[in-house]
Amino acid sequence: MQVNRLAEAVWEIPKTEKAGMLVPARIYGTEKILRAMDAGVFEQVTNVACLPGIQRYALCMPDGHWGYGFPIGGVAALDVRNGVISPGGVGYDINCGMRLIRTDLTLSDVQPRLDALLTELFRTVPAGVGAKGFVKLSRRTFQDVMRKGAKWGVEQGYGWESDLIHTEEQGCLARADPDCVSEHACQRGMGQLGTLGSGNHYLEIQVVTNDRIFDRHVAGQFGIHGHDQIVVMVHCGSRGLGHQVCTDYVRIFEKAMKRYDITVKDQQLACAPYQSPEGQRYYSAMNCAANTAFANRQVIAHQIREAFSRVFGESPERLGMRQVYDVAHNIAKVERYDEQDLLVHRKGATRAFGPGHHDVPEPFRAVGQPVICGGSMETGSYLLVGTPQANTESFGSTMHGAGRTMSRAQAKRTVRGTTLQQDMAQRGIMVKAVSMSGLAEEAGIAYKNISDVVESVNAAGITRRVAELLPIGNIKG
Amino acid sequence: MGKAHRFLDEIALGDLAFEATGDSVSELFASAALALIEVMADPLTVGTNWTQNYRRSESEIEDLFFEWLNAIVYLKDAEGVVFHDVHAAVRLDSENNLWHLDAALIGDRVDGTRQELRTDIKAVTKHLFAVRPSDDGWYARVVLDV
Repeated sequence: MQVNRLAEAVWEIPKTEKAGMLVPARIYGTEKILRAMDAGVFEQVTNVACLPGIQRYALCMPDGHWGYGFPIGGVAALDVRNGVISPGGVGYDINCGMRLIRTDLTLSDVQPRLDALLTELFRTVPAGVGAKGFVKLSRRTFQDVMRKGAKWGVEQGYGWESDLIHTEEQGCLARADPDCVSEHACQRGMGQLGTLGSGNHYLEIQVVTNDRIFDRHVAGQFGIHGHDQIVVMVHCGSRGLGHQVCTDYVRIFEKAMKRYDITVKDQQLACAPYQSPEGQRYYSAMNCAANTAFANRQVIAHQIREAFSRVFGESPERLGMRQVYDVAHNIAKVERYDEQDLLVHRKGATRAFGPGHHDVPEPFRAVGQPVICGGSMETGSYLLVGTPQANTESFGSTMHGAGRTMSRAQAKRTVRGTTLQQDMAQRGIMVKAVSMSGLAEEAGIAYKNISDVVESVNAAGITRRVAELLPIGNIKG
Repeated sequence: MGKAHRFLDEIALGDLAFEATGDSVSELFASAALALIEVMADPLTVGTNWTQNYRRSESEIEDLFFEWLNAIVYLKDAEGVVFHDVHAAVRLDSENNLWHLDAALIGDRVDGTRQELRTDIKAVTKHLFAVRPSDDGWYARVVLDV
């Protein structure tokens, strides 16, 4: 496949490379990153470029890897008038995303009590297969969760009013209609509020050292000052509800495509016109799942604050446990670019609006939107900030994490969970995991070096580095 | 060929892909289900206090297979269970051209103190999904979202 270099970290596959491509495909990444990408990325991003109504180009971020339908790291903007909506462009874990909470604690405060803190977090934030949350919901209140998202959580006393302004869309997407969500989806998700899940989901205690702050002004605006400051990161999504919404609508769209005379290159790219009844119902159901994910992370944030409070004997307010931001990386949203409303699908990609954008919360509007990128549990994560260039070039989108380079099966053959846990402890990273095989699947060797990935988006100008966050404690499902 | 499954390294890096085979279509349904339940928990550590029968009919074998695996993922969350074993009998009713599945799932409520829990499964995807007769039986390829 022909790949042309457009800039230091931007590459383009011409639309002549595959029959049916309506636009070119672009991949962000330094040469080192591009060469390390698996073949599936090139195949899948060019399949996305064939979707009816796609605008300008199909994108893949530098953390991209072979997914299903879209590549992980995929971004596509579809015309809302004549374009399609595809559950495969959002993923099964609708509004899988990141939440970051800062504290006034330092490494020297936390290290002596790290074991007790992780034990308390492991107890109060359930993780792994079949985990149930402490929030008991009736069918009626679950519908409120779907409609109101994080706002529902704050109304119930799970979190602070200020959390909402520090959440994408204030944690509540409009046009969320629970009538578009199946009974099966409700049954799967109803008991799971406040749970992490498994796979690459985690809760992590991290430290910010002075030498890993790259933009002190912006970091300060985000409440990050370094000096061995402790922060807490959460990575999870909409749990069974979102998974089932995607499953249901892929099935519905497979049938609908015949009616609308749409063909796709991969069954998992099943789609329907956004304006069709099926498209509109999926959009409403997806928003229900996205709101449930915001509520899930809201409840988890509450549990984190309570756990810290019990261990340190101070209120979360006195510990300075303010939310930095909460942002989705699996979602489709209507956004305006060049006077045109586009349905931007982000699957393993993060919204990254630059300074002055009206959707950036007021406290950050002068500097840009915080972007939270989770790395592997061994290496670290990054806090970035959106740029004006993201708005003009990448539909306000950037990377979301490190990106895998090794399959789960291979990772398990390469490293044992118990050995990994001991090795990490020797390097100052304490891990509590429900599953040792699940831990092995998430070993750092299975991922790209996140610093290389960050270098790519920094060089491309679609986000800028603010701070690196280094792990000291991790909870995995 | 017999009832067997193997996990694939080379596709869908962040997820889990497997191939399953069987001498008969019933064996294929059982072997794929065993691959799926083995991802979620070690079946040998899961008890047998919970059972559920599952019956479904579809005109396409692909649809029946897909719904079968989806049912297991659904029951894992909705019933809060992991699985010890499965039984599956599939037959084609040639009169009305329908495939019928008569299956049973055996397992227990999730309990991390007694069971070796592994990885949660979000969904059975349609990416590279394949179910077909092979030279010596039946073959399927499945990519799971984890």
